[in-house]
Amino acid sequence: MTQAGWISGWRKPSVLPGFGPALGTTLAYLSLFVIIPLGAMVLTTFAHGWADFVGAVLQPRVLAAFRVTLLCAFGAAALCALFGLLLAWVLVRYPFPGHRLVDAAVDLPFALPTAVAGIALTSLYAPNGWIGALLAPLGIQVAFTPLGILVALTFVGLPFVVRTVQPVLQDLEREQEEASAILGATRLQTFTRVIMPALAPALLTGFAMALARGLGEYGSVIFIAGNKPMVSEIVPLLIVIELEQFNYAGAAAIGTLMLAVAFVLLFAINRLQRWTRLQHAD
Amino acid sequence: MTAEISIRGVTRRFGAQAALDGVDLDVRPGELLALLGPSGSGKTTLLRIIAGLEWPDSGTVMFGGQDAMERHVRERGVGFVFQHYALFRHMTVFENVAFGLRVRPRAQRLPRAEIARRVHTLLNLVQLDWLADRYPNQLSGGQRQRVALARALAIEPRVLLLDEPFGALDAKVRKELRRWLRSLHENVKVTSVFVTHDQEEALELADRVVVMANGRIEQVGTPAEVYCTPASAFVHEFLGDTNRLECRVEGGRALLADGTPIGRAEDIMGSAIAYVRPHDVTLAPAADGPGIIRHVHAVGPLAQLVVELGGVEIDVAIPADSWARLGAGRGDRVAVTVQAGTLFPQRATRGIPMQPLLPASPILSLVRNNTVYSGRPIHHPE
Repeated sequence: MTQAGWISGWRKPSVLPGFGPALGTTLAYLSLFVIIPLGAMVLTTFAHGWADFVGAVLQPRVLAAFRVTLLCAFGAAALCALFGLLLAWVLVRYPFPGHRLVDAAVDLPFALPTAVAGIALTSLYAPNGWIGALLAPLGIQVAFTPLGILVALTFVGLPFVVRTVQPVLQDLEREQEEASAILGATRLQTFTRVIMPALAPALLTGFAMALARGLGEYGSVIFIAGNKPMVSEIVPLLIVIELEQFNYAGAAAIGTLMLAVAFVLLFAINRLQRWTRLQHAD
Repeated sequence: MTAEISIRGVTRRFGAQAALDGVDLDVRPGELLALLGPSGSGKTTLLRIIAGLEWPDSGTVMFGGQDAMERHVRERGVGFVFQHYALFRHMTVFENVAFGLRVRPRAQRLPRAEIARRVHTLLNLVQLDWLADRYPNQLSGGQRQRVALARALAIEPRVLLLDEPFGALDAKVRKELRRWLRSLHENVKVTSVFVTHDQEEALELADRVVVMANGRIEQVGTPAEVYCTPASAFVHEFLGDTNRLECRVEGGRALLADGTPIGRAEDIMGSAIAYVRPHDVTLAPAADGPGIIRHVHAVGPLAQLVVELGGVEIDVAIPADSWARLGAGRGDRVAVTVQAGTLFPQRATRGIPMQPLLPASPILSLVRNNTVYSGRPIHHPE
């Protein structure tokens, strides 16, 4: 079979014009901005051979950084999902004075330079800061510990969850909840059986975006984390440190592993999301 | 007979606007009651107050002698069918119907197998058992409607409430479902209240009709009562086609503005509005008659005419064979007899029947009585 025949068999007829240009543009864009840079990084890594890669990655300091980054990103994404849902709920369901202001403020972490956020959080949570001073007598130290990383990542991740859940919550018919109540369900049953299943796909999307952001976040974390090796040092910082020491191969190796981990995680979440959507057959 | 639901002095305001204004109503056990009115008449608000989804500003709602207001919506035991069904999109048809049985407190919950059995019985009742595993968005509008009904019936409600049950369906499906709902009600016999703005639907389906306007009840009665003896000008205009004729009553005769007499009326004087249904007007050949045929639409069993009488245009509907016998056409003159009508003198709350100028022939009155007592008034397509 000729190539044209193969393509026509694979491509379903469509009323939308411009398939060729659209696919071409997409691929060119993806290549220039995503695939080529990432590919170059992977190539650099393996130019030095597999043994070098394993050697660069399997250092205790690197593994500790991965552990801190993953745990904090997961924890922060979970917190974001919880509070983002709550925030979206309040914004959609309860009209209150200043509603619009709060709604606009949700996006601030998107716009704020992350370093500014990091410095602000640090000065608040440092042992002599406003909040840090309150927590210090309780024996809780936030700034310069992994807990600080969690706070920073929650800050930058929150808008993702709010902005994905909010529109779905807005579209949720009030009548579904009324129907649920009339059929005898309590508020809790209505929430778990009617509202949550409808929100789950959006919430999962928000969670995945917050997680992805948390894995790659650099600016806000380095100020508040304290960056103690083995304790509160994150992977992106480690890469910068390697670069500053002109260890390009080491930096590329860590970057490649980071890329692989992130891809696997996001892919898994994507599948999970697909599964929940199928469950709900939307 | 004690009332299943009794509503006393229910008032509900939205801002300055009164959606319901001192409504009293009794719903009898086992009946199918229609709340009929134009949009904004307060009928849906009343239904939602009965359900417990909304609260009146004042007044009481009693269910079988008990104060329903003390009970939360989930404890009232009502079935509610929403206009847009409000099916749970992430649940199959089966799960939707089972929902009300599954959320019961553990002590009252039926065993799993018993729930499955009841759901299948209900799905058979609404003839949808073969769709049990589908999701709502895979169903047609009529099927969704029936799922919503099965879901509402699953909790064995003491009252079934339906908000514009056929509003979102196309005309043909609507007619089928209406017949089907009527026979379902005859089998299940649950006290039911439905809201509609479609007079034909209310008159065909309901045991009794409640006509509402501006947050008040205008009339309560059987379909035949509200159609044939409307309590107010509003009811007359809202139920079926009608001619609204301004006239004055002098010497026992109702006269149009130019003095053309249209009927007899005892005991009143002065200006009044006469309501005359198109099929209550008969025509007879007369070369010098007072009526002039202005427009003819004679397709189908009824000939729809516009006749000019005394300077006003009157809609007239006569059987097609009478029209053929009349042998008249557009522009011809005819004699016009108003066989029946209702006069509403100014500031009167009740209408006064208007008699024809000449006593009706025995055959005609026989036909008219038939119309009244069969409870199936003649309708004209709009």
